[in-house]
Amino acid sequence: MTLLEGRNLSIAFGGVHAVENVSLAVAKGELLGLIGPNGAGKTTLLRLLTGILPPDTGHVFFEGRDITRMPIHRRAQLGFALTHQIVRPFREMTLAENVMMAAAGEVTVRPWKALVAVNARRERERALGLLERLGIADGADKLARNVPLGYLKRMQAARALALNPRLLMLDEPLAGLNAAEATRLADLIVDLNAGGITIVLVEHNLGEVTRIARRLLVLHNGALLGEGEPRAVMARADVRDAYLGADVHA
Amino acid sequence: MYYAELLLVGLIWGCTYAMMALGLTLVYGLLRILHVAQATVFTLGAYIGLLAANYSGSLAVAFIAGAIAAGALGPLIYRFVYQPILDRPPFVALVASIGVLIAMEDGFRLLFGPYGLSFEHNTWFTTTYSFAGMTMNLVQIWMVVTAVVLLSAFAIFATRTRAGVAWRATVSDPPMAESFGISVSGVRYVNFLIASVLAGIAGVLVGLLNNLVEPGMGSVIAYKGLAIIVLGGLGSVPGTLVASLALGVVESYGTVFLDKVLDRDAIAFLFLIVVLMIRPQGLLGRR
Amino acid sequence: MDYYVSVATFAALNVILALGLNLISGFCGQVSLGHAAFYGLGAYAAALCSVAGVPFPLAILVGVLVAGIFGIVVGFAALRVREDFLAIVTMGVGFLFLGAVRKQPWLGAEMGIAKIPSPLDKWGYAALAIGAAVALVVLSLHVRRSWMGRAFGAVAQDEDAARTIGIDVAGYKITAFFLGTAAAGLAGGIYAHMTQLIIPDTFNFIQSITILAMVVIGGIGSTIGVVAGAILLTLMPELFRFINDYKLLVYGALLLLVMRFSPGGLAGLLQRLGLRLA
Repeated sequence: MTLLEGRNLSIAFGGVHAVENVSLAVAKGELLGLIGPNGAGKTTLLRLLTGILPPDTGHVFFEGRDITRMPIHRRAQLGFALTHQIVRPFREMTLAENVMMAAAGEVTVRPWKALVAVNARRERERALGLLERLGIADGADKLARNVPLGYLKRMQAARALALNPRLLMLDEPLAGLNAAEATRLADLIVDLNAGGITIVLVEHNLGEVTRIARRLLVLHNGALLGEGEPRAVMARADVRDAYLGADVHA
Repeated sequence: MYYAELLLVGLIWGCTYAMMALGLTLVYGLLRILHVAQATVFTLGAYIGLLAANYSGSLAVAFIAGAIAAGALGPLIYRFVYQPILDRPPFVALVASIGVLIAMEDGFRLLFGPYGLSFEHNTWFTTTYSFAGMTMNLVQIWMVVTAVVLLSAFAIFATRTRAGVAWRATVSDPPMAESFGISVSGVRYVNFLIASVLAGIAGVLVGLLNNLVEPGMGSVIAYKGLAIIVLGGLGSVPGTLVASLALGVVESYGTVFLDKVLDRDAIAFLFLIVVLMIRPQGLLGRR
Repeated sequence: MDYYVSVATFAALNVILALGLNLISGFCGQVSLGHAAFYGLGAYAAALCSVAGVPFPLAILVGVLVAGIFGIVVGFAALRVREDFLAIVTMGVGFLFLGAVRKQPWLGAEMGIAKIPSPLDKWGYAALAIGAAVALVVLSLHVRRSWMGRAFGAVAQDEDAARTIGIDVAGYKITAFFLGTAAAGLAGGIYAHMTQLIIPDTFNFIQSITILAMVVIGGIGSTIGVVAGAILLTLMPELFRFINDYKLLVYGALLLLVMRFSPGGLAGLLQRLGLRLA
């Protein structure tokens, strides 16, 4: 069954077609990798799917429901979570508080409901559990502005998980982590997927992404170049050319 | 004919706004600071211009003195007010700027007295010309001429000279400009210098037009300058010019047609709010 | 004695105004340079009601609601413009309010509204204003501890991140505007009945900046700091003749110094000395 579907998505910036007529479907339970050389339009496509950018044309469906114009916070409430490529922590909160904010969705859904709720013990326990799971429990009570990038990247994943998502879209979650941290987070992504969360992953770390993804989509010059089983896709000549060409010109 | 005259008066005010707003756009474009304290620079220009005119009897001397005083004050405000707090959130610089503005309003009151000063020989004010049934005085004509000349000079500087190109490069990408050997800090001083000289000259002109220089004369025009840069769309120089003229004309007609419901300042800000509700990115801004 | 009672009442009104702005700017991070307009809206609405014979408590309530409803409208407008421009738009709202009131004969134009019925004596207004100020302090402290306060903090620190974790940023901003402007409306209603005369100029841009100065000097975001700032800025001109004559010079210089050396205001200063205020 299809969980997320993008139909004929296009967007242009000042005449340049950043994404042109891309359609894709993400099945429930999938772990899909979205790859492509720099400037291929991966992040833009992700932004169209998540609603950060409204598409010029095309539609996005979540469980068959058209969510193209739905505000981001409503999508998050439906279980559609995302992380940003560049970490966006609440800088003046601790890591635990950052995750607690996401865990408190039921309370903060209406301002008036939030006004009468003070107790945060349940959210804190949940936040600590998630930080533990991501291996950063030791930073729980440090301010976000004072911890290294590796912590923030993983805190961001914890924050997305605190939403109890059914669909998780991760924009380069492994960037900025060292090899050991990256492998550990990649393994966790596989675990989460096994636990029932559908995951879409934009990633530059091809080694990890081909290892964990069950299907790859390749984007090139704003259009879909190919898709399929990771090893088969990576072996294709046109995919190799796209990467090599991009590297030569970069 | 009456409507044509209103249009003309509006455009004349628009020219004055443009001289004020261009500087605010430059500062905003480079530093993301809403430089409210530009009003202080404007008022200082007017006072020094007036004192110079009354002392020397020459309006040319008045403009030079006003421009020099203003041109000195602007960079000083940058150095001592903004530069130490550049890395803080924009709110901090805005509040500091408001602090300078209101403090100096009383400062001028202490220095030059509360009631305002007039030019002793304001020949431009008394010299009037009539054509096609419309009457203008020489100050109004000079306002238009000065604005056109100075803004054209600025356009040539920005597009045709090495310094201008360096300056634009810095506005669009400071780290990149630095890697090409451009002194970012130097560009900032130049920026404040240009903005302040324009404001100082505008101050002298407005002083001549009203034949009055008073402590609070800069505030409203500075607030409107800020409204104009928002209207024009964020650091867009052509947008700023269009918005300046549009605001001048809207005010001019508005004070006639809306006289029973709103005053002049309210009309200006109503225009701002209406435009922003329709086009949040401003008149010529891109989304 | 009367003098002290009236100074205390004004201090309490300023506390209400400053805490209202602090809800909007300090808690929710939305800069507003037009707070005096809502003070004025409350004052005019309540005054009109009383002049028309509406009972005092109801008149005050109308003032609160009118200010709060306009606050919601401005909150919606605020959603449409980028953060930097909100300051200019709210400043514009202030000028629009003033320019509209000045031209309306039914609002007394420049002369304002006089002979507003006054049902209480000096002590009564003092008790009312101080009671309201205390209630607002309690509310502020509670908001800060509640999930609403946490969500405001998230909106203030990073709107986009707040959206991605399901926080209704628009809803919270509008709530902050409603609460803050309704508080200003309450102060306006009390002020109008106490002085029995209101004129447009009382609610001008300088008044907005004065309220902002109380918030910023006390310490933006800190309830206790803001209360201290409001009281301090009310008392200073009363204590020193020079400050009364050159209020703007002193307020302006204080704003500049605080921004330059202690952006956290008095509360930030105390915190650096090891005292943490709520």
